[in-house]
Amino acid sequence: MGEVILTMKGIDKSFLGVHALDHVDLEVRAGEVHALMGENGAGKSTLMKVLTGIYKKDSGTITYFGKEVEFHNTREAQDAGVVIVHQELNMVGDLTVAQNIFIGREPKKGIRIDDKKMIEDSKKLFERLKIDINPREKMKNLTVGKQQMCEIAKAISHDCKLIIFDEPSAALTEKEIDDLFKIIRDLRAQNMGIIYISHRMDEIKVITDRVTVMRDGGYVGTLITKDSTKEDIINMMVGRVIYEDPKTHSMCPPDAPVVLKVEHLNAGHMVQDISFELHKGEILGFSGLMGAGRTETARAIFGADPKQSGKISILGKDGQLHEVTINNPQDAVKAGIGYLSEDRRRFGVVVQKSITENSTLACLENYLHGPFIDKAKEKKDSERLIKELATKTPSSDQLVMNLSGGNQQKVVIAKWLIRDSDILIFDEPTRGIDVGAKNEIYKLMNKLASEGKSIIMISSEMTEILRMSDRIVVMCEGKKTGEIRIEEATQENIMDKATRNIN
Amino acid sequence: MEKIKQNPIVKKIGFNRIILICVLILMYVVFCLGIKGFAAAGTKHLLNTLNYVYFLGFLSLGVTFVIATGGIDFSIGPVMFCCALVGGYCLNSYKMPLVADIIIAILIGLAFGIFNGYMVAYQKVPAFIISMASMNIAKGAAAVFTKTQSQSWPLSTDPVNGWFRNLISVNGFPVGLVIFAIAAVICGIILYNTKMGRYILCLGSNREAVRLSGVNTKKWEMSAYVMCGLLTGIASIFFVAAYTTVQPGYGDQYNNEAIAGCVMGGTSMVGGLASILGTVIGVFIISLLQEGILAFGLGKDIQLIVTGVIVIVAVYADVSARRRKN
Repeated sequence: MGEVILTMKGIDKSFLGVHALDHVDLEVRAGEVHALMGENGAGKSTLMKVLTGIYKKDSGTITYFGKEVEFHNTREAQDAGVVIVHQELNMVGDLTVAQNIFIGREPKKGIRIDDKKMIEDSKKLFERLKIDINPREKMKNLTVGKQQMCEIAKAISHDCKLIIFDEPSAALTEKEIDDLFKIIRDLRAQNMGIIYISHRMDEIKVITDRVTVMRDGGYVGTLITKDSTKEDIINMMVGRVIYEDPKTHSMCPPDAPVVLKVEHLNAGHMVQDISFELHKGEILGFSGLMGAGRTETARAIFGADPKQSGKISILGKDGQLHEVTINNPQDAVKAGIGYLSEDRRRFGVVVQKSITENSTLACLENYLHGPFIDKAKEKKDSERLIKELATKTPSSDQLVMNLSGGNQQKVVIAKWLIRDSDILIFDEPTRGIDVGAKNEIYKLMNKLASEGKSIIMISSEMTEILRMSDRIVVMCEGKKTGEIRIEEATQENIMDKATRNIN
Repeated sequence: MEKIKQNPIVKKIGFNRIILICVLILMYVVFCLGIKGFAAAGTKHLLNTLNYVYFLGFLSLGVTFVIATGGIDFSIGPVMFCCALVGGYCLNSYKMPLVADIIIAILIGLAFGIFNGYMVAYQKVPAFIISMASMNIAKGAAAVFTKTQSQSWPLSTDPVNGWFRNLISVNGFPVGLVIFAIAAVICGIILYNTKMGRYILCLGSNREAVRLSGVNTKKWEMSAYVMCGLLTGIASIFFVAAYTTVQPGYGDQYNNEAIAGCVMGGTSMVGGLASILGTVIGVFIISLLQEGILAFGLGKDIQLIVTGVIVIVAVYADVSARRRKN
């Protein structure tokens, strides 16, 4: 580690009375990878936005190469050599790699764009990163991993001295992550300062030199990575101990009746001939890599997307399975199925509306008094569920947009509980939810299962699958490649099945 | 300022609405002080303003429902004229009883609403395109039907149908205002206290989440356009009750005025948020402004410019408020 290149001291920032950053400190040295960790909403992104000039700080100082600075926009930050590589890639698919890298500052030859120079310069950047990408290729033809590399190339093309990675690995495969780490190590060797934001503890241990932990907008502390354990960091993040032990045996009694039977379901090429059974009180995990077709299967069952063929049967009141026709979500909801999407803000909640209005969305019929909505009854039930699910909110009138991810998820759960749905499909139930709230969601799912709700849980996190499932269905490229009882499940045999179709 | 905002009454009405009311009052005072003879003319300008409020109010209430779904309806002005023209033609040329003509006029509005709503909600044609097309159809059909003749509705002196004017006022008492107020209250109840209103607002905010909750979003989206069509039909009656005569080929300017009234009142152009009270106040402001501009000696052209500017300012305010929140 070299000299200190960046010192942020006592950074304070409030939004409309909400204290988003409370005297946060951060120090980055040349030639180090500095992890910035914290639960969602801890203020990591806000801090980086203050640094790169997107937000204006209320107080505190930023010292960069010995001089106090304040950037007013990302352009100024870039010019000074501070560049951020975003989680979502800002690329134009139809332009070539070189055009994307030099977008907005194309080298000119007279009034014409100097394509030759642009491609030469791109090649040089890739050589420096030791990666092989054709600068003439259209961006949309690259994998997400390669696109990320281009984003990095773009960043270092600004002669940068401090580079910020905001959850760079979220969408990458293992192999791509390895490549990414190689690049990061190279950049470190070139004496750059690197800030690395991630939730993945394993990565932090592998790639970073120091860790700064934030919690609830405040600074908790800075550790030297190799001298600290995973537990140390987690404890600093949550301020409490968490457990991540896998389940050892199924909680679902062996004679539990089948509540949902799916036979030979086909819907596009992402859902091919899928058959499975779900038992009462069971948590059925759906594992697989991204793009395995799990969400597509769930959406087809729920009627959100059209299906080509397949038979879906549901346990009736008479104790028999009955075939049901599900052409749209209305049919599915009527049949007692509830779907909790991975993308809550887009598919789960109406953020501009209150908790109460969201909670009763799926069964407003029950709250009608003649033509009018019985708002008192609505409020009562919504408040009951706030209490039951321990949703953190000042009142049931609170707009959902003001809630954290975990609490938004609880609002969606409340919606299906008020509807009294018996089959719940949780699609990535804890994505974007911080560690503390994750545990609450897990507890809640276990409680629901023990009360006789049947749960399908789609998850890309292996620990989550092993911790929650009673049985595991594994998918790969649109096909079901295995079904494993929890007693026999290991990371290895799940991963083996999840990669079965891939050559 | 924060303290005022937290006051329960202010909260109930909405801080922005209170500002709008202040703007309305201020405008009236400015007109009285600034325009020679505005105050001296007594109730003349107020009555003119009210005449405007009646029909524009119904249009604006209707389009509030559509905008709440995140849609738009640019056909309301010409459809209103189409209703009044066809109804008038039935009265004048076919000698149909007045009540039947009124019903016909309202049904035509309703029919356009059903058509627009069906095309938008079930056939997924952009509302912008459909309502533009409906606007042309309404204009053309009315001209063809009436053989491009202006249509006049009964005057108060008409021995048989003179009661028509009582819709607006009886011996100087503004009946029209009472009817409009009742309509606004009903619209408010529909929007905030019924399933229809709840679903309209929710789907305007996040259609996909509402659909995935098992709600028939198409049906409820269409209902907003139907409501708009019905209110457009009613608006046509109040238009002719105030101005007697309608000419084929016009009506477009009222689209923007109705939309301006609605957006100024706090209904968001991207859907999900709507205020009936805001729309009502917005309509009053637009109407007073139109009268003020005329009284100031400026013509129709200036009215158009002012309405255009209001739409831009109101939408810009909405968009920038949204950006601040994010």
